[in-house]
Amino acid sequence: MGQQRLIQETGIVSLAYLAAFFVTFEILMPVQSIFFPEFNNQASLLFLPHGVRVLSAWLLGWRSVLALLPGVFIVFVYSAGDLAFTPSRLAGIAIAVTIPATIFHLLRLLGWDLSPATGRRPCWPCIMVAGLLISLFTSVLTNFAFGSAAEEYVAYLIGDVFGLFFLMLILMLIFRSLRRYGV
Amino acid sequence: MSEISKLTELRKLLLDMESSMGLQDLSSVERDIYYAASDHAISAGAVKTTVLQEHALLAQVSRPTFFRGLKSLQKKGYLEQCKNSTRGYYIVKAPR
Repeated sequence: MGQQRLIQETGIVSLAYLAAFFVTFEILMPVQSIFFPEFNNQASLLFLPHGVRVLSAWLLGWRSVLALLPGVFIVFVYSAGDLAFTPSRLAGIAIAVTIPATIFHLLRLLGWDLSPATGRRPCWPCIMVAGLLISLFTSVLTNFAFGSAAEEYVAYLIGDVFGLFFLMLILMLIFRSLRRYGV
Repeated sequence: MSEISKLTELRKLLLDMESSMGLQDLSSVERDIYYAASDHAISAGAVKTTVLQEHALLAQVSRPTFFRGLKSLQKKGYLEQCKNSTRGYYIVKAPR
């Protein structure tokens, strides 16, 4: 039962991550390069996969590490090919899947428990703050592992925060439409 | 937490976002009653009024305000009174 649930969660989260990645890189990035040609072509200003990482870590806690792993790994292989197996890229994969759950756990230890629970009001601005922290830690650690330039930190940060916000906005509109049609 | 409850939690979070953006027509008490009903409906299917009143989110809400909120949620289609049981049981609906 537990194993089946984990497989199901992994399937849903990894598929969502892959879908968010392809929308970002195959649809949004070409549009971005038309309007902001001067921007680094690797840094999306609307990085939707960050939203998937934050929401899955919020909902699943530590189980999100396993749930995200296949999706993040496929994305790294798709983007970097054989280079995905280099130590820096493997470190990047580890950072991408572990930091979200770690930040939520650290916030809980510091007395700010955001995890969903009976009797607790949901707070979307709090999730945005957690998303910002996750982005900060992820980009600092990833850029350290990749040895990227300092200006890329800002581009990744903007992309992550807008990505989380717009993913939540898209989901909100989907849920509203589903309600309208009685689903 | 089950799969359904995770979806419910996500829906609650996005209802909060909707409400902040002024796109939702629920008062804060109505929203809390709906959250509380969603929490209980996950485990029990239908939720009893007395159980709802004891929920942590509604502990400070007066009885008249609670029942006004409950009636309003029924009118707006968020809750529906259980037909095949005794009075005081409600089902959480997908609002239209």
